[in-house]
Amino acid sequence: MKKVLGLALGILTAIGGFLDIGDLVTNAVVGSRFGLSLAWVVVVGVIGICLFASMSGRVAAVSGRATFEIIRERLGPRAAGANLTASFLINLLTLTAEVGGIALALQLASSVEPRLWIPVAGLAVWLVVWRTKFSIMENVTGLVGLTLVVFAVTVFLLGPDWSTLADQTFHPGVPANEGRDVYWYYAIALFGAAMTPYEVFFFSSGAVEERWSAKDLAQSRLNVLVGFPFGGILSVAIAACAAIVFLPAGIEVSSLSQIVLPVALAGGKLALAVVIVGIVAATFGAALETSLSSGYTLAQFMGWSWGKFRRPARAARFHLTMIVCILVAVGVLMTSVDPIAITEFSVVFSAIALPLTYLPILVIANDPEYMGKHVNGRATNALALVYLVIIVAASVAAIPLMIATGAGS
Amino acid sequence: MILGDLLDARVTDADGRGLGFVVDARFALDGPIDGLLAAPRLHGLLVSPRTATSFLGYERNGVRAPALLARWFRWRHRGTFLVHWSDVRWVADGTVVLRAGYERYSPGLTGTAPQQG
Amino acid sequence: MSLPPDERPPGRILDARLHLLDRQVLDVDGVPTCTVDDLEIHGLDGSDRPDGTQTAVVTSLLSGAVLATRVLGGRPPASRWHRIRWTHVTDVGTTVRLGVHGDALDVTWTERWVRDHVIGRLPGGRHDPG
Repeated sequence: MKKVLGLALGILTAIGGFLDIGDLVTNAVVGSRFGLSLAWVVVVGVIGICLFASMSGRVAAVSGRATFEIIRERLGPRAAGANLTASFLINLLTLTAEVGGIALALQLASSVEPRLWIPVAGLAVWLVVWRTKFSIMENVTGLVGLTLVVFAVTVFLLGPDWSTLADQTFHPGVPANEGRDVYWYYAIALFGAAMTPYEVFFFSSGAVEERWSAKDLAQSRLNVLVGFPFGGILSVAIAACAAIVFLPAGIEVSSLSQIVLPVALAGGKLALAVVIVGIVAATFGAALETSLSSGYTLAQFMGWSWGKFRRPARAARFHLTMIVCILVAVGVLMTSVDPIAITEFSVVFSAIALPLTYLPILVIANDPEYMGKHVNGRATNALALVYLVIIVAASVAAIPLMIATGAGS
Repeated sequence: MILGDLLDARVTDADGRGLGFVVDARFALDGPIDGLLAAPRLHGLLVSPRTATSFLGYERNGVRAPALLARWFRWRHRGTFLVHWSDVRWVADGTVVLRAGYERYSPGLTGTAPQQG
Repeated sequence: MSLPPDERPPGRILDARLHLLDRQVLDVDGVPTCTVDDLEIHGLDGSDRPDGTQTAVVTSLLSGAVLATRVLGGRPPASRWHRIRWTHVTDVGTTVRLGVHGDALDVTWTERWVRDHVIGRLPGGRHDPG
């Protein structure tokens, strides 16, 4: 049991990163429009986030420095400030979407209007951030989030035509009724959804919160190698569910109730209840992850005292930042903004901002002053350079594709 | 004076010819003892002819991995040199003017003991 | 063209951007205090506009308003600088360590203000997370 709980940070990070409201929607939309012909992007994204998170986790464990301290130290105040502005806004957008997502999931369970759930969800997120120990937070949300495995089970229960799915996966191509640039726009959205910077901020700061040291490197690696592929498999499963149920019928997914429909079809009421619990846990986990990340990034950039392991009065500005962010998120949602629309933008902006976060970590992971003998090996660096090219290409292509496709519509 | 007055300042020789920009300042911990440590003595300025942007530290600390990145940053900052503080005639309004007959030195930090944090 | 190597001074070498600026400052208990936003330099005779004719040394780390001007340009008035005297610095590594409590320093006044007026007043704000 202790070993399983030791993986909680990786699992929570991955569930919050891969199965938050943005990914649930993006994956289901992609499945209903492109089948599994974009599954390869998830694989590319999972390998990328494993590489990226393992470097930032290693830097945090060995040097005790979390990611945004490194970004500030290496890029200087200007470039790091630009990165902070972008990352902070993405965080805030995502946090807003997640609080909305919690409310939507609770609406599915209770048929009470989401606007009544929004303040409750916001308050619950704050209470956990304010009072709960980091380890309890990650264990509970991580374990409950595991119920999303029901999406993978559903794929089997639906009894799909495996050869069609395999053909979509292994011979990917643009479906006849979709444009090439829309296909690539969604490829970048999926890539951005897998490699969101807030996962890395959260994972590396979480490593500091848990006081990992060089002794815990194996632990860190295992967290990464179990957590993120698990998240990746579930996100492909969501796309597969949508591909099986909606693609043949030509229905495009646009709401949370449609995303869970395949599960209800295959597994009945019980499975539906389980998946709703899972979605509440995942969006709640992502809301915690993004609200903490907003505090982490700003505090680390400014050199403030931060961390859930301190009492709030010992990290006052860190806690104030999170309170303000949660209030803003709740305030924005009360104006009846559609959280699902917000989330589609936030994943694409993630892809745009990624290089400024990735490059400093890659540089520090090679710096013996920080890392001693734990610097990157040759194989890691070779892979890291390939990903640097992919990340820069995705970042550059994101805005033109977004404009050309009208954000994928 | 604050360091911000020196960083990114234009550097000219005694005749007013532009030599580049101050990209960093080098200190040596051998000033008068001030508390537990010696005060950092301003040893010299690193001047780059091309750009006033950050180096990410690649070109001076001997880190050579990943090789492609290291080579790129070194190339971007080719021609960087160190001048001693004693060769600085004056500093004013974003310009550093060097003394006639100033000497250029290699900017590398190699030869300094690697520091363990 | 290869340049002659510099004769190595006896003390440790610190390149400001590489080893000091933008590094995290930790107080005597390891609590994050601020970042090094700038450095104040004086001539040995106390002059605040030294040139190459006299030895110049770092007398204080600066934090606060100088950050805004490093991002946006310009120069803050000296009255807005928050100094940490070099005397308080005990070590320079991947972080800068101080030998005093952060709470005793000028630079942390915003932290104390937020604690006393907001966070410390909320229920549970002064207790360990449970």
